[in-house]
Amino acid sequence: MVGKLVLALLAVALTPLVGGLLAGVDRRLTAWLQSRYGPPVLQPFYDVLKLLGKKKMVVNPWQALSAYVYLAAAVTSVFIFFMQGDLLLIFFVLTIGAVFLVVGALSAPSPYSQIGGQRELWQMLAYEPLLVLVFVSMAMVTGSFKITAILDHPTPLLFELPLMFIVLGYVLTIKLRKSPFDISASQHAHQEIVRGVLTEYSGPYLAMIEIAHWFEVVLVLGICSLFFATSALGVVILLAAAYFLEILIDNVMARMTWRWMLRSVLTVGLVLSLVNILWLYVA
Amino acid sequence: MRDTLVFATVLLPFFAAVLAFLARGAAPRKLLVVATALILFAASACLVATGPFTLEASPVFEALVTVGDFALLGIIVFLGLRLKNQLVVWLSLGQIAGLAFLDFALVDHAATAPAFYVDDLSLVMVAIISMIGSLIGVYALGYMKVHEEHLHLEKSRQPRFFFFILLFLGAMNGLVLADSLSWMYFFWEITTLCSFFLIAHDGTDIARKNAERALWMNVVGGAAFVLGLILLQKGAQTLSLQALLAVAPEVSAGGLLVVPLFLLVFAGFTKAAQAPFQSWLTGAMVAPTPVSALLHSSTMVKAGVYLIVRLAPLFVGTYLSALVALFGAFCFLATAAMAVGQSNGKKILAYSTISNLALIIACAGINTPAAITAAVMLIIFHAVSKALLFMCVGSIEQRIGSRDIEDMRGLSQVMPRTAVLAAIGIMTMMLPPFGMLLAKWMAIESASAQFLVVTMLALGSALTVLFWARWAGMLFSAPFGRGTPEEQPPSVRLPLVILAGAAVILSLGAPFLYDSLVAPVVAMYYAAPGYAVSAGIMENASGVFWIYPLFLILGIGFALAVRAAGRIRPADVAAPYMCGAQRDVDGHPGFTGPMNQPVAATPGNAYLPRIFGEEMLGRYANVAALALVALMLGGVLW
Repeated sequence: MVGKLVLALLAVALTPLVGGLLAGVDRRLTAWLQSRYGPPVLQPFYDVLKLLGKKKMVVNPWQALSAYVYLAAAVTSVFIFFMQGDLLLIFFVLTIGAVFLVVGALSAPSPYSQIGGQRELWQMLAYEPLLVLVFVSMAMVTGSFKITAILDHPTPLLFELPLMFIVLGYVLTIKLRKSPFDISASQHAHQEIVRGVLTEYSGPYLAMIEIAHWFEVVLVLGICSLFFATSALGVVILLAAAYFLEILIDNVMARMTWRWMLRSVLTVGLVLSLVNILWLYVA
Repeated sequence: MRDTLVFATVLLPFFAAVLAFLARGAAPRKLLVVATALILFAASACLVATGPFTLEASPVFEALVTVGDFALLGIIVFLGLRLKNQLVVWLSLGQIAGLAFLDFALVDHAATAPAFYVDDLSLVMVAIISMIGSLIGVYALGYMKVHEEHLHLEKSRQPRFFFFILLFLGAMNGLVLADSLSWMYFFWEITTLCSFFLIAHDGTDIARKNAERALWMNVVGGAAFVLGLILLQKGAQTLSLQALLAVAPEVSAGGLLVVPLFLLVFAGFTKAAQAPFQSWLTGAMVAPTPVSALLHSSTMVKAGVYLIVRLAPLFVGTYLSALVALFGAFCFLATAAMAVGQSNGKKILAYSTISNLALIIACAGINTPAAITAAVMLIIFHAVSKALLFMCVGSIEQRIGSRDIEDMRGLSQVMPRTAVLAAIGIMTMMLPPFGMLLAKWMAIESASAQFLVVTMLALGSALTVLFWARWAGMLFSAPFGRGTPEEQPPSVRLPLVILAGAAVILSLGAPFLYDSLVAPVVAMYYAAPGYAVSAGIMENASGVFWIYPLFLILGIGFALAVRAAGRIRPADVAAPYMCGAQRDVDGHPGFTGPMNQPVAATPGNAYLPRIFGEEMLGRYANVAALALVALMLGGVLW
């Protein structure tokens, strides 16, 4: 138990490094796809460090509170993941962060931040049910929501839940803020009205949100890795393939509207889940 | 001792009600309500400490209940005639005939069962009704004073108001303590009648109309109740809950008594305002806020889910149980969606109530130890948070003159304390590590084998987060500045603070609450416990919820967050971004618009009435809910 705790704490400490590096590699790959040279791989760290050194400015003190709670929730959810806790609990803790991000955005009476907050809510409405269904399908196969049960499962979940992996892909795209679902805040300046939900966060608070975002990305990738938990090589290949696909999709798609996102994501996600789970029953 | 406690919780409020009706002037009324509240608090606490027991009542009471039944139905027939509502008249006449048949032809009065059967589920309910109900009563003292000042009444109508409020509390306590279902029916009808008069209290046209709707819908439920009683008496030869629950394994395994059980569950649906009967509860919003708080949190609708959870072991594993789960999950989703389409704060609360009740019903239908644990937990935590939210909205409405959440933008400046209390209410409704989420976690995990049910729960939960998060965000949407400290009478402030504290502390005490109150309920129903608790961690085969660790980690995070927010100085505050066209418009943030004119920035939420509007969605939801009820009926008859 103590060993597990120390390992989990170590993993939590390493998470922002991994998340930041991933963001750097992401930017280089994106640049490569767009025939650009791109920033250094460590650029995300330079950005965040610079933001941390800036003077604190807010529109409303509640934003400071929201940024802290968002980071706390993201860290906690990663911690539960590495403690091999309950998947549904991780999901609920993740919700705390998402809710506070929106509360902070809505607390500033600026039209951009308000629209961003609304859009973030629609994004949550799109991915939350699907993430729950992914966890439910895992529980249907392994009989438990505990990560330990998944790790004890003899075969990779991917073989039994191939369609659920695609459903998780939708969640990943939304969580990574990739096109076509980068609706509330985008990495691409050319398709952005200011910075959506992040408009009114600045300086150290924006840095905290960026770090929290790294935590969330690592968490969702961790959940992806559960689909091939039986082999380390499998995990690496699966994650690399999934992430590269995300970058590819990001670069070939434009941002779509939130109405389209809600309709398409929920329809496709629910149908895929239904088919996969029926298949579980039949097989 | 025990009979004194039962007397204090059930009969005493009846006497207090009569006194409140006779008392003239504010001071004696205040004394009376506060004294009753204190006695109810103490008596229910003692009852919980005493633990389960059964209690005989003298035959006089048996006769009184029988006479009371006919008197109540007589009043309802009279009301039906006065309202010219044929449905109410005929259904009540039918109930009179049915009761007469039941009382004089079927029931063997020589072999009477004990009047009161107090078990752990009843104790949970009594505690909720007596404690939260009394707090609402105390809150009503301050609220009604302001309410009547607004209306400029010549003669106070408060004696009548508090008469029904206190009567309501006594009737609810009677309902949950009764052993005989025919006694329960008596109290059930009292609550129907009380809610009718309380909804109609303000006497406006809309109030009368909505009260009439509440009456006819509950009379439909009452008729189903009587029919269920007759069939139950014929099938099982008893109306005693204790006797029925004793043979529950045989009843459920044999699929016996499903028709009367269906009728009683259906009566529960009407009382709990499930689709297609949700409109009576949303219409009840016209009443003064304490009435809404009472109907929604601790009484009335909780009677409906109490009955269903109470009967759950009798239909475990049957077709009825599966459909009850499906029905509950569907109503959970449909009413959560309707809440998204609302900007009226009280309507949002109303739909969220119906949605949570539906979740409780779904849990009763899923009918596993973990699901019943979830149902009882939901009953407890929902009562606390929802009472708090209603009373907050009531106070807000009296101050800002609107119950629209769009008008609550920047409330933290006008009413700093109430805004924070309302935010606590919202957060305890939708986020971990609080009790509501603990229960929802249990519900989803125990539904995980039923794909359709769990899908609807997942979609409904996401919608729930949407409308709560939006509301919470708006409360704090204000430009920087010290708000003016707000003035509130202690009878309003105190219940709000107590409930907000209870919502947090009870969540922290959830493992203890589970061990002492909820686990015994589950133990009555099932051999296996729902969860094992150790060191604040609840665990079973399908999942593990770390209550204390989460409270600790998130608590530290939250404390740091509060500290960071508290350190913000006026010099750290910037104006919101307006593309460089920033301009102050009468103290509000705005921008320089066309023709160099100042334009105030006026944000608004997307409510999507064409998708989530109650008229659009309500129609389809009602049809689908009716179809599910028809399926249930078809299944049990076949």
